[in-house]
Amino acid sequence: MPILTVENLSKSYGRIQALKNVSFSVPEGTVFGILGPNGSGKTTTLGTITDILKPTSGTYKLFGEPSSAESRRKIGTLLETPNFYHYLSGIKNLEIAAEIKQHGKEDIDRVLETVDLTRRKDSKFSTYSLGMKQRLAIASCLLGSPSVLIFDEPTNGLDPVGIAEIRELMKKLYREGKTIIMASHLLDEVEKVCTDVAILKRGELIVSGKVNEILSKEDMVEVAAKDHQKLLEILNNLAEKIRVVDDNNMIKIFFPVGKADLSEINSYCFNNGVALNHLTLKKQSLEARFFELTNN
Amino acid sequence: MLHLLKIEWLKVKNYKAFWIFIILYLFAILGINYIGFYINEVAVESMPASKVILGTPYAFPKVWQTVGFMSSWLLYFPGILFIMLLTNEFNFKTHRQNIIDGWTRQQFITVKFVFALLFSLAATVFNFLVALLFGLITTGSHFSFAGMENVIYIFIQTVAYITFAMFLAILFRKSGAAIAVFFLYGLIFEWLITLLVNMKFNLSPIGYFLPLQVTDVMLPIPFGNKVIYKDAPDVWIMVIASLVYIAGYYFFAIKKFTKEDL
Repeated sequence: MPILTVENLSKSYGRIQALKNVSFSVPEGTVFGILGPNGSGKTTTLGTITDILKPTSGTYKLFGEPSSAESRRKIGTLLETPNFYHYLSGIKNLEIAAEIKQHGKEDIDRVLETVDLTRRKDSKFSTYSLGMKQRLAIASCLLGSPSVLIFDEPTNGLDPVGIAEIRELMKKLYREGKTIIMASHLLDEVEKVCTDVAILKRGELIVSGKVNEILSKEDMVEVAAKDHQKLLEILNNLAEKIRVVDDNNMIKIFFPVGKADLSEINSYCFNNGVALNHLTLKKQSLEARFFELTNN
Repeated sequence: MLHLLKIEWLKVKNYKAFWIFIILYLFAILGINYIGFYINEVAVESMPASKVILGTPYAFPKVWQTVGFMSSWLLYFPGILFIMLLTNEFNFKTHRQNIIDGWTRQQFITVKFVFALLFSLAATVFNFLVALLFGLITTGSHFSFAGMENVIYIFIQTVAYITFAMFLAILFRKSGAAIAVFFLYGLIFEWLITLLVNMKFNLSPIGYFLPLQVTDVMLPIPFGNKVIYKDAPDVWIMVIASLVYIAGYYFFAIKKFTKEDL
C-alpha cells in the first residue's frame, strides 16, 4: 500500500497556478524526494497533504485513507520553516508538540540527543541560531518515532557538519524501515539520500520514479554532419546508446558512464555513409541532467 | 477539551508578557475603582448636595454596577492580550504547526475561545471581589445580593470585548492592525456611529446594537443613565444581542479558519 497517493492535485493562488494536475504515489519504505527549483510547487504539495493549504482541485490519501488529524499525528512533519513559540525554551516547545501528537514527555530527551541539542534545551527558541532551530524542528518530527516523516528542505541553514549529520540520520531512518518524503532543491542531496524522486517544474510533474533510473549519470557525445537527417536516422540503430537528442545542427548521443567509444561511433557512421565533421565526448554532470529534465 | 486546554496552558504558562499583562490588568481594576471611590468621597464631603446626583455608587447594592462600569474601561487590556496570543501564533506560524502536528482546525479556534471564556470568568471573579471589598469599606453599606445580576453582565461584557478583539486578530492577522482598529473603533468610531444613528438620524435604539455598545448599555454609568441611555431597550434584549455577537465571532472564526489556507 502506498503511504501517500496524490491524484490530479492543482492549486492556484489567484492567477498563479502553483500546482497543475500533479499525481504521484509514495511507496512504503522509500526515501521519496520532491525535487525542483525554487517556486516549483514543492512546499505547496507538502502543505496540501498536511492540511495547511486547501487544494483547488484533486485529492490525496495518506495511509490509503483521506487525510485526518489522526493520520497527521502519525507523521513527523517539518514544513518550510521551524515553527515554534519564540518565548519558550526548546524543551517546552517539544512538550507542546508531544502533547498535540498525544505522546508522553518520555521521548523528548532522546530526540534532543539525536539532534545534538541537549545542551541548549533550556534556552529560549528565540536565542537559537538558524541551524539550531532547524535541528529542533527535526527533533520535533522524531517525537514518538513516527513511521512516516515529511521534511521540507531539511538541511536548510545547517553547517556542513550539520548537513552530513542530518543526511546520515535520514539514511538511518530509512534503514529502520521508515518512509521519508523530502522536498529539496538540492539535486546532490536528493541523489545522495533518496531512493525515489518526483521532479517538479513550475507546478508540473516532469517525471517520477527510482532515483538511479531518473538521475543516472551519463556520458554525452556530440556529433554533427552535413547530412543532418541521415545522421539522425542511422544513429537510431547505434548500439549501447541510451537515447539520441536532436539539438539544432548538433546531435547529442547519451551513453551509460564509460560506454561511449568515439572511434567506434566514427567508424559506424562512416560505414553507414555519413562523414562526421564534429565528434566530441562530454561528461554529463548531474546538474546538466537536471537542467535537461527541467528545461524540456 | 481538557487536553486541548492543557496544551493552551502550556503555551502561556511560561510566557512572561502574559503574566505581566494580567498583573497590570488586575492592579488597574483595583486602581480605577479606587479612583472612582476616592473622587466620590471627596465630592460628597466637599459638596454634600452632590449626593443627590451621585447617590451611593460604592455602597451595596449599587457597587456591583459601579465596579462593572468602571472596570469596563479597562477591557481593552485583555482584548490586546488575546490579540497578542492569536497574532503570536500567526507570526510564529505555530497555528500551522499545531494543525500539522495533529489538531483539527476547529480545535485550534475552539480552544482559544474556551480559553477566553475561562479568562473572562477569572476576571469576573476578581471584579466580584473588588466590588465586595469596596462595598464593605463604604460606611453605612451592608452586604446585599441585590444587583448581583450585574456580575453576570460583567462576565458577558468581558467575553464580548475579548472575542471581538479575537475576531479582529483573525481578520487582520497582524497585531498592529488589529490593535489599532480595536482602539479606534471602540473609543471613537462606535460612539460616533451610535451618536449619528440615534441622535442625528433618529433611528434609536438601533445605534445601541453595535458590537461593543450593546454591552456598554448593559452596564451603564451608575448615575444619570436616564440621560445617556434614555431610550435603550430592556437589558435582557441587550444580553441576547451580546450573546448573538459572541456566537457570531466564533462562527466567523471557525468558517475563516477552516476554509482558507493557513
